[in-house]
Formats: sequence, structure tokens, C-alpha cells
Amino acid sequence: MARAGQGTKSRGLKLTDILVTIVIAVVFGIIYKVWGPMYDVVKPIGVHAEQTVYGMWFLAGTFAFLLIRKPGVAVLAEVAAASVSALLGSEWGISTLWYGLLQGLGAEIIFALFLYRNASVWVVSLASIGAAAGSLVLDFGYGYIKELSAWNYTLLIGLRVIGSVVIAGILAYYLSKALELTGVTKVLRPASKQDFDALNRA
Amino acid sequence: MQLTFPHRRTWLHRVNPVVKLVLFSLWFFAIILIHDFSVMINVAIGSVLLLIWSGHPWKRLLLYASPFLLVFVSSTTGMMFFGSGETPWFKWGIVNITEESFYRGLHLGFRALSMAAVGLLFGLTTRPVDLFYALMQKAKLPPKYAYSFLAAMRMIPILVEEFQTLRHALKIRGMKKQGKLMTIYRTWHRYAIPLLAQSIRRAHRIAVAMEAKRFAGGAKRTYYYIIGFTYRDIAFAALTAVLFAASFAAGIQWPYIADITDVR
Repeated sequence: MARAGQGTKSRGLKLTDILVTIVIAVVFGIIYKVWGPMYDVVKPIGVHAEQTVYGMWFLAGTFAFLLIRKPGVAVLAEVAAASVSALLGSEWGISTLWYGLLQGLGAEIIFALFLYRNASVWVVSLASIGAAAGSLVLDFGYGYIKELSAWNYTLLIGLRVIGSVVIAGILAYYLSKALELTGVTKVLRPASKQDFDALNRA
Repeated sequence: MQLTFPHRRTWLHRVNPVVKLVLFSLWFFAIILIHDFSVMINVAIGSVLLLIWSGHPWKRLLLYASPFLLVFVSSTTGMMFFGSGETPWFKWGIVNITEESFYRGLHLGFRALSMAAVGLLFGLTTRPVDLFYALMQKAKLPPKYAYSFLAAMRMIPILVEEFQTLRHALKIRGMKKQGKLMTIYRTWHRYAIPLLAQSIRRAHRIAVAMEAKRFAGGAKRTYYYIIGFTYRDIAFAALTAVLFAASFAAGIQWPYIADITDVR
């Protein structure tokens, strides 16, 4: 879809891609902010029930990629959503930004491994595990996960991974499918062969 | 985010947002490297004290800071109850509090408190417009990204309004609150899909309009606000350095608990 006034080639992110990604991220950024207190209320129960909802914070990256299947979208969406929740005065402050960056990178690496061509529910679930791994990298330093007793941190990691697959993988996938039915995603994707055939027929 | 409440502008509002962003990021990484309990308490106290320059009255600050207590408790208890350690203090079912895990838990609580305080300070003293202008001018952020951000921030009020409309529309059609898991999922769908679809359409329209006006051309941009570096940036960096140095010196000289130094 060649667009006038845009110097970039079709590979990179166009203004439309960036703007749509960031707008989606803002929607999720608000959700991220609202999600914080809920996470904290569940947390002191102690058996890591809160980890099952942690995947909510990976949703922006995988969901944005499902709509705009281009390199960099997952990272951009996660960082943007994190910065929105940081600007709204997140309880975790600026650290949210760095978590967002690593979570986005974790998902991005998986999408890159599949050359950005595969957006099946399996790959998206794998990407959500990648995002969980990204968040765990920082948590080992910041949250002293290693210093929990062994059964406890195994449980923590296990529940976080399961939660992220359910929310950022499966839920994101079906949410994007539901959104495709509305037809808005058509403006975001390059014209397909079917579209050209439709033009020829007319 | 700049809240619409009246407040004083302090010198921290005039510190370059890029400087604040860099310093607070370094703050985060410095905190990861602090394992000394007393030093951590000092840093946390220092972080909270910085809020006197937020320009907001203390009563409102307390209101903003109310989630901090929740974060402190939630960060603390997980480690306190389930952390590993040698000196048992209390055992009840799966809860196992040891001396080590107790202080490690408190350590995590103070870490979270410190990050929360400087995060709030950043949010209260930085206007998004200033932040993105500074990032474009001083950190070479491409204008495509910066203006997309600013446009997206402008959409938040529209989004809230749409959410209200949607809520009213569903209410008038007789939607009732139900507790079943599947119903929660359906409710989620009912709100998320229209809100996202409308946002994407609007974003697309804005992008087309911006391109039609020749935005994102290669020409050099000019800016309405020029955000430069001033002596205040150096002052703030120096203040941060002094805060950490003083915390370290005091923490090592006068530890709060004599036999707890490294919490790991």
C-alpha cells in the first residue's frame, strides 16, 4: 500500500502503523494502570495467585503484533503502554518502562524467529512466554526471586508462564479475531491479491 | 501526567525531562544493586523527601500515595512469608518467617517505596508535551513517534467519553451484572471490541490527515517549545548523587540493625 508523502520503504513502520500501535498501547496503558491495585490486593495471599494475572501486562505487545504484523511493533506497543502507565503515576514508577522494554523484546524475539510471517495461536503463546521470560530477567535482580524457597519460586514462574499464555497468548488471539470481524484491520494490512482481483472484476 | 488540579511550579518542573528520565532509570538500576538494608531505608526516606518539591499540597500527595502502602505490603509479605533463611522465627502451615526473609521482605518493600516515590515525582513534575519535545530535541527521538504519542494522549478523554456512552447504551438495553466467568469474558468483549475498533479507525484517520499535511517529511523541524539544558539539571543530578552518597555513608556508619547488612 504505497502512501504519498512518506519517505520510507514498505519494510519499516509507517506513520499509520506507529500511530495505530501507540493508540492501542494507550488503551492498554490505562488497563495496565488499573490492573496494578488488583494485582497488589491478590498478592499477599501468598501462593502466587497474583502471578496468574501478570500476563495482562504482556497483552499490548502480542495484541499489537496480531493487528500489524511488522518488525518492531511488539516492542513499541509494550514500551508505549508502559510509559503511559508510568506517566499516569504507576506504583512501580520508572521501572515499568524497563520492564516494558524487556517484555516487548521477549515477545519480539519469538516473532522474529518466525520471520514475522506466522501469527498462529501457538506462536503468539510462545511470544507471551518470551515476554514472561523478559519480565523474569529483571525480577531476579529486583525481586530476589532466587531467595524465595524453592517450591515457592517454581510456583511463581510456573503460574506466571501459564497466566501469560492464557491472557497474552490465547485471549489476545481471540480478541484480534473478534476485531478482524469488525473490518478495521483491513486498513492496516497491505492489499492482498483478492483485493486486486476484485478491482479487475469491476 | 499533568493533572488538572492547581499546583505550584517548582524548580523540578523546569529540570529537563530527559535528565529526569535518565536519572530515574539510573536510580532503578542503582536500587537493584543495593543489598544493604540500612542503605536501602535511607534511600527510600530520601526518595519520599524529594516529594516536597512536587508542588502539590501534602494532603493531595497522601491521596496519590495511598496505593504505595498496598505496594509496600504486597512487596514485603511475599518474601517475608516464603523466603529462604536459616534463623526460623515463626512457622504456620506453609508460612515460614525467618530472620533473613523478614529483613529481605522489608528490603523489597523499601525498594518498591523508593521507586513509587520517584515515579510519582516524575509524573507530577513532567508535562507529557515537555517530555516528548525534550526527547525529540535532546534524545533524537524521531518526530513520527513523538507526535504519535502526543496525539494518542489527546485521545484519552475521548476514550473515556466513549466508554461512558457504551456503558449507558448497554445499560439501557438491559445488561445486567453477572458473576459467571464466561459472562465476565463476554462483558470484556462488549467493551473492548468497540473501543479498540473506534480507536483504530480514529488513529488511521489522524495518520492520513497528518500525512496529507506533509508531516514526516525529511526537512528539519522547528519547535514551538525549546527545551534546553539549564543549571537546574546539574543541580538535580548533584542532589541525586549526594542523596545516594549520604545514604551509603550513613547506612554503613550507623546501621539500623547491627547484624543485618547484606539481605541476600
